Amino acid sequence: MKDTTISARQAGMLCTITILANKIFLLPALIYDGVKSDGFFVMMFLFALELCVLGIFILLKKKFPNNTLNFILEKYLGKVIARIIYFFFMMFFLFKMMLTYSVCYVYLKQQVYQDEFALLALICIIPVVNHAVISGLRVFSRTIELYFYVIMTGVLICLAVGLGNWQGMPILFNSTPSEFFLTSFKHIFSFGDYLFLFLIIDKIHLEKGQVKHLVKYVALGIIMVLTLFIAFYSIYQITAFMHNNALSDIISVSLQFNAIGRLDVLAMLTIMFLCYFEMEIFQFSFSEAFCNVFHKLNRKYSIVVFDVIFLVVYFILVGRYENMILYTEGWLPYFSIFTNFLIPIIILFISLPKRKGVRYEKTF
Amino acid sequence: MSFLNVEKRIEKVKKDFHQSDDFASRVLVKQNAKIGFMFFKSITDGELFAETIYKPLSSATGEITLESLQNKVLKSSDIKEIKEDEIVENIISGSIIILIEGEEKVIAVDLLKYLTRTPTEPPTSPVIMGPREGFTEDINTNISLMRRRIASKDLVMKQVKIGSYSNTRVMITYVHGIVDQKIVEKVTQRLKEIKIDGILDAYYLVGFLQEDENSMFRQVGMAEKPDIVSSKLLEGKVGILVDNSPIVLTVPFIIFEDLQNSNDYYSNHHYSSFIRAVRLIGIIMAILASGVYLALQIYHYNIVPLNFLITIADTTQGLPFTPYIEILFIFLLFQILYEVSLRLPTYLGLATSVVGALILGDTGVKAGLISPPGVIIVAVSKIALYLVPQQSSQVCLLQLVFLFLGGSLGMLGIIGGMIYFTNYLNKIDSYGVPYLAPYSPRIKNDLQDGIFKENIGDMRKRPESFNNKNKVRLK
Repeated sequence: MKDTTISARQAGMLCTITILANKIFLLPALIYDGVKSDGFFVMMFLFALELCVLGIFILLKKKFPNNTLNFILEKYLGKVIARIIYFFFMMFFLFKMMLTYSVCYVYLKQQVYQDEFALLALICIIPVVNHAVISGLRVFSRTIELYFYVIMTGVLICLAVGLGNWQGMPILFNSTPSEFFLTSFKHIFSFGDYLFLFLIIDKIHLEKGQVKHLVKYVALGIIMVLTLFIAFYSIYQITAFMHNNALSDIISVSLQFNAIGRLDVLAMLTIMFLCYFEMEIFQFSFSEAFCNVFHKLNRKYSIVVFDVIFLVVYFILVGRYENMILYTEGWLPYFSIFTNFLIPIIILFISLPKRKGVRYEKTF
Repeated sequence: MSFLNVEKRIEKVKKDFHQSDDFASRVLVKQNAKIGFMFFKSITDGELFAETIYKPLSSATGEITLESLQNKVLKSSDIKEIKEDEIVENIISGSIIILIEGEEKVIAVDLLKYLTRTPTEPPTSPVIMGPREGFTEDINTNISLMRRRIASKDLVMKQVKIGSYSNTRVMITYVHGIVDQKIVEKVTQRLKEIKIDGILDAYYLVGFLQEDENSMFRQVGMAEKPDIVSSKLLEGKVGILVDNSPIVLTVPFIIFEDLQNSNDYYSNHHYSSFIRAVRLIGIIMAILASGVYLALQIYHYNIVPLNFLITIADTTQGLPFTPYIEILFIFLLFQILYEVSLRLPTYLGLATSVVGALILGDTGVKAGLISPPGVIIVAVSKIALYLVPQQSSQVCLLQLVFLFLGGSLGMLGIIGGMIYFTNYLNKIDSYGVPYLAPYSPRIKNDLQDGIFKENIGDMRKRPESFNNKNKVRLK
């Protein structure tokens, strides 16, 4: 059988991409709308919660180094519940992909293509993403590894220029606890960054001492997002809620730099790379969940099903990207509380107590 | 016994060669022994025949038997005893077959006439400083060039004959103790499985050795210089020498090898790193320049620096074609001129270049059919193509793909194309080695000979990508 595992380093890079992608366009403005500059603390709070999920993943990986999530779920919860959980994962990643597409679409439409280009965007994105998913986790992880430093350089230059435009410390501690928690709840769907790790738990080659690689890249992603938030709130202050594309907007105030043209081209290229890679990760996760819900169907079916559902749900049911943004603040947070936190906690509680006395690694 | 009659045996072989006119046979009688000779006049050395066989035989005394000929009379060192069914094969290889009436034994003396050129510097791999010898079309010369460079008992040569008509000698070479034997076995098996009428050049084997034979990207290394092949064998690769071809194939192959050049190893490593970086930038430019120019002009003109935008607007104003058609037209014009210059004799090729590049280009601009920035962009991308001549055909096709993507979908299309092709390349696995190693996946040890090359004294380990059995290069 062909080896399909990825290294801890590659898994870490996938995490950085998922941490960055949904949070550096629209989210800073949306959160500002709820809690003003305390959005920075909202992000810290949600990142802290997310890190607990990462902790659960690491514990689970240590206990079941070579087993699939399906094996763990079926062993402790039975086949039916395992499939239901996978179905929830499927839906979660479908909506995540829609959110990513919506956010990128808004950005590209407003700042790059300047007219209706939904079909054009789909022609560009869907075939590339589908090809990556068919090629497999190992292949697109290697591609991400190759472009990772290009993306990081793009983000770092944007952050550096953004910090260079520092307008003074944003006003912090300006929201009530209820506003704080309500905003945190409303934007929880933009998180769930490590859920895909559970789906590929058996495909990550995580040897002793390699957890640090994973944590290193997660920390890098979190630091970059937090830096972006603070720079963005500093530059735009009370008008922050009007700026929909944070990464691009923090750099677009420096239109000319040594006459090399508009610097936001860097943000544009970075966002495009992130958009593709994020969608590859989400569609692959959907595909993994799909194959575990429908055992008899392979990955190619999952891609066809995904494309059809995506087109139908996005263009007919959601209709416009504004609706998608509304859903993320409406009913999707309830859904994501279940998928992002409850499912990992359930998996932790059902599997960990039996740890003492029995070495599952050898028996499985 | 009739089968020991010399005339009858010669007649049988003659029939095997369909009475071919360059087949020659002689029968001599010397001291009551009837001696038969068979050979091809066209490929055997007449002078050598006279010196090593005819003269010693004329002056021989005593009883003539094949054993006495082999051990006492004949002066050649390349005499071997063969079986009856090997006669045809040996004649084809340039040997003279000697038979004696009544004796079952057959002997073959190798007198192949070498019509070969001397090792000269190949046009594709010139060096400023460093060895200039290149492979020739003669496999024996090539083997000797290799043996001179790796003078070790561990340099192994294994012969395979391919081609039902051409009977081409193919030599598999590797350094025992460094190479992964699984790769040697895989290569040998693949070569033995080839059932083809003829192999006329090493390139015939490329398709059979590739893991993905329909891929547009070559997965087999090609070199025309013994120093390059020797260095690859010392890294744990397998070389394949083919008779009648000055090109030696090497596997496994990673795409980064085409960015390396033998000059890099015979000059300062800081400068080599700089040149490799220039090559990489050049090749990226060659692939993307035309597409990006179109994307900027059609979709993203607002991010172009203002002065440059004004220049473009000034020069493209009044053109009868859209930017897309204009660039495509210049692209095709360049490609046609290139093909013409390749096929014409040198003096005519030069004239065509002058007419094409100067007159057509200049007149095209003055006539308002094409714009100067368009010509410059396509010219730069076409010239940059030859920074890595081994990949020029693939890069040329990629240029066209990215031109189409940039013109139709803008930068989103170009980035999508980059990701698609990188995924495609990442899928390729050359004999267990990732095609984009050592960058994707990152193999830390192998970065020492990557874009930024280290000093030879610091490269203590062999590349890990190739799964070689002896990791230490420098103690």
